[in-house]
Amino acid sequence: MNGSQFDMAAERPGRPLTGGICQPGFHRRHRMAGMVLLSALLLAGIVAGGILLGDSRVATHLDIRNAAPSLEYPFGTDWLGRDMLARTLKGLTLSLAIGLITATASVGIALVLGLMAATLGKTVDSCISWLIDLFLSLPHLVTIILISFSLGGGVKGVIVGVALTHWPSLARIIRAEILQLRSAEFVLTSRKLGRSRWWVATRHMLPHLVPQLYVGFVLLFPHAILHEAGVTFLGFGLSPQQPAIGIILSEAMRYLSAGIWWLAFFPGLSLLIMVRAFDVLGDNLRRLIDPHSAHE
Amino acid sequence: MAKKRIWQLAAGLAIMALVAGLSGCAGPKSDNTAAKNELVLAINAEPEGGFDPTTGWGRYGSPLFQSTLLKRDKDLQIVNDLATGYQVSADGLTWTVKIRKDVEFSDGKPLTAADIQYTYETAQKSNSVVDLTIMKSVEAADDDIVVFTLKKPQSAFVDVLTGIGIVPKHAHGKDYAQHPIGSGPFKFVQWDKGQQLIVEANPKYYGPKPGFSKLTFLFLSEDAAYAAAKAGKADVVAIPPAFSKQPVAGMRLIAVDSVDNRGIVFPTVKAGGKTENGYPVGNDVTADGAIRKAINAAVDRKALVDGILEGQGTPAYTICDRLPWWNADAVINDNDLNGAKRILAEAGWKDADGDGILEKDSRKAEFTLIYPASDKTRQALAIAAADMVKPLGINMRTEGKSWDDIKTLMHSNAVMLGWGSHTPLEMYYVYYSKNSGIDYYNPGYYSNPAVDAYMDKALAATGQDEANGYWKKAQWDGSTGLSAKGDAPWAWLVNLKHCYLVRENLDIGQPKIEPHGHGWPITDNIAEWHWK
Repeated sequence: MNGSQFDMAAERPGRPLTGGICQPGFHRRHRMAGMVLLSALLLAGIVAGGILLGDSRVATHLDIRNAAPSLEYPFGTDWLGRDMLARTLKGLTLSLAIGLITATASVGIALVLGLMAATLGKTVDSCISWLIDLFLSLPHLVTIILISFSLGGGVKGVIVGVALTHWPSLARIIRAEILQLRSAEFVLTSRKLGRSRWWVATRHMLPHLVPQLYVGFVLLFPHAILHEAGVTFLGFGLSPQQPAIGIILSEAMRYLSAGIWWLAFFPGLSLLIMVRAFDVLGDNLRRLIDPHSAHE
Repeated sequence: MAKKRIWQLAAGLAIMALVAGLSGCAGPKSDNTAAKNELVLAINAEPEGGFDPTTGWGRYGSPLFQSTLLKRDKDLQIVNDLATGYQVSADGLTWTVKIRKDVEFSDGKPLTAADIQYTYETAQKSNSVVDLTIMKSVEAADDDIVVFTLKKPQSAFVDVLTGIGIVPKHAHGKDYAQHPIGSGPFKFVQWDKGQQLIVEANPKYYGPKPGFSKLTFLFLSEDAAYAAAKAGKADVVAIPPAFSKQPVAGMRLIAVDSVDNRGIVFPTVKAGGKTENGYPVGNDVTADGAIRKAINAAVDRKALVDGILEGQGTPAYTICDRLPWWNADAVINDNDLNGAKRILAEAGWKDADGDGILEKDSRKAEFTLIYPASDKTRQALAIAAADMVKPLGINMRTEGKSWDDIKTLMHSNAVMLGWGSHTPLEMYYVYYSKNSGIDYYNPGYYSNPAVDAYMDKALAATGQDEANGYWKKAQWDGSTGLSAKGDAPWAWLVNLKHCYLVRENLDIGQPKIEPHGHGWPITDNIAEWHWK
């Protein structure tokens, strides 16, 4: 028991022991905050665009179909004359909405299971660990396809599928964190002072988990979005005329051989940029919030 | 770890898009394959059930391996194939067909009337799409004479005789569909499911000898087939209209007229019923004829042809445009928003709450239009048609479904379907009240006793002209009918042209107007094909 503090430090290889101290931390933190702000603005812009752009731009205009990118239609138009910029923004917004719901659900599942595993004793712990291993060993895409197919496809199927497959890695992190917290001195002291398990879990442990949850949430986001795109690309998700980014990409593949490259290029690029923005956001947030790197 | 996988996924997507984009820009290659004695065709449409005419193979004509009693020539006139002639008794119940004596199957055994009797009896019992309920019996009266007896007179029985290829009684077993034997212009060599079919010229064939000794049919997706054409790997390629604007070096585009049509079928009864299998029947909005007629009047069929089919088609107003039994008076004025609005207003539909969607008795004018998700042309037609009726205040929500789902939903929702055949019998299948809910026939439960009566008379007529007169009246008799002018259970939109890329120096003669099904019909006159 006496060695617990030492163990804690040793188990965190990511903790910088010397790095950061010699760096001009002030500027670096500023730059990080700037990146966070920029990414957040970009994402907010996508959502605003997707919501504000009226349906008229995604309605069919058979007289201007297959128009190459121009000033009026920066992303070009498709074979029904629908504005690809508007379709892309709407698709990304839908992806974001799905990402939001699924990431929230995944974090919820991860938190509950992680807490249960770490606090309810050995049997529950081994059960949940087994479940985590099981879900981690299944390929995500296959599981999502199975789940969304059995639920009859549609937005609901995709959401449930993605939510049910993305919690295990975060649940494992939370479980490990709690296991460490359990043997932390302040927790032990609190227990000895007669506090209940519940009181300790909510007052002492949960606050320590907030940064992990927060960052886990943001990092799950791009993962969920790409899997949503993947499953709709393969045709197991949404109805083919819904402007989901995966559907836009899979439809565009058909027209590539006819030389209409902009149907795939811009939506694909936008998806990449959005996912990258989330990555930057999550990564920088983690470094800013995480106490272990907060002094960098 | 998770992050790494994300980037792998993302990079994979990006690379796929790039590679495909580049290949789209690359110049087409062509290799000169003139003078070779074989052809490679990529015309899609692998028949799932194989090549057995008794379960539906070749029911639109030209079964390739087998031959039929009668067939339709280039001008769609009935001519003899196996038959040398036929007679119908005065009461229209007995059809006597005399056949050639010199015909052999590709295995060398002679084709006799017993094979024909066997084929028709097997087809009648097959419980497949082949409909022979009208036939009471079939009998081989002699080696070269077959007698069909019908339950009631049916002028359109002649079309049945063009649609069933004759199978050999001695070699028709369980795996016949996988290894067909027949008396047609080609004989079966090999079928690799999902990949290719190889056939050879049948030396025993009694008709004109085909100009090619071997044909290979590749079963490719639309874009893979197009890529094969660009790479010079195929001689005849079926392509969707969307690709028809892009020239391919070494190939020329042939757009063949067809009676292959696309349209929206509406439930015509109110919701509440169920089929035998428990699927819901009826829709309260589309049960109102005014809605169906307004949609028919509002859609701009010409714009659909130009915009979605790239001009490779014609507007469709009925199930049988330009065929001998078509009633030209049944054609309506379309692209007429004001006319459509008037129809709706007269029927009591108005937008009381100002949300852009009409209401009547607190029921909103909205319903779902389902299309098969795998068919891009039908998807585009559905989306465009839905946008065209939006200004009326009718909200057609489009939704893509699998064919399995469509079977359960097509009686209670509007569906984008297609038909197209060289026989007026099709009108009977699609509109006759007793065919409601049978297979894909009459999914909307349309029923009009006057129309039924005209079709009964048409079927009972003994002469083709007399029959055609009744078929026309069934469409529109001046006061009612099954067309858009009458009850409008369908909104027909377009007749497709079937587009093929054909190698420059291959002469495929004059293809006849093709039925439903893009692909196989092009082989109908394959015996005439030759290198230029």
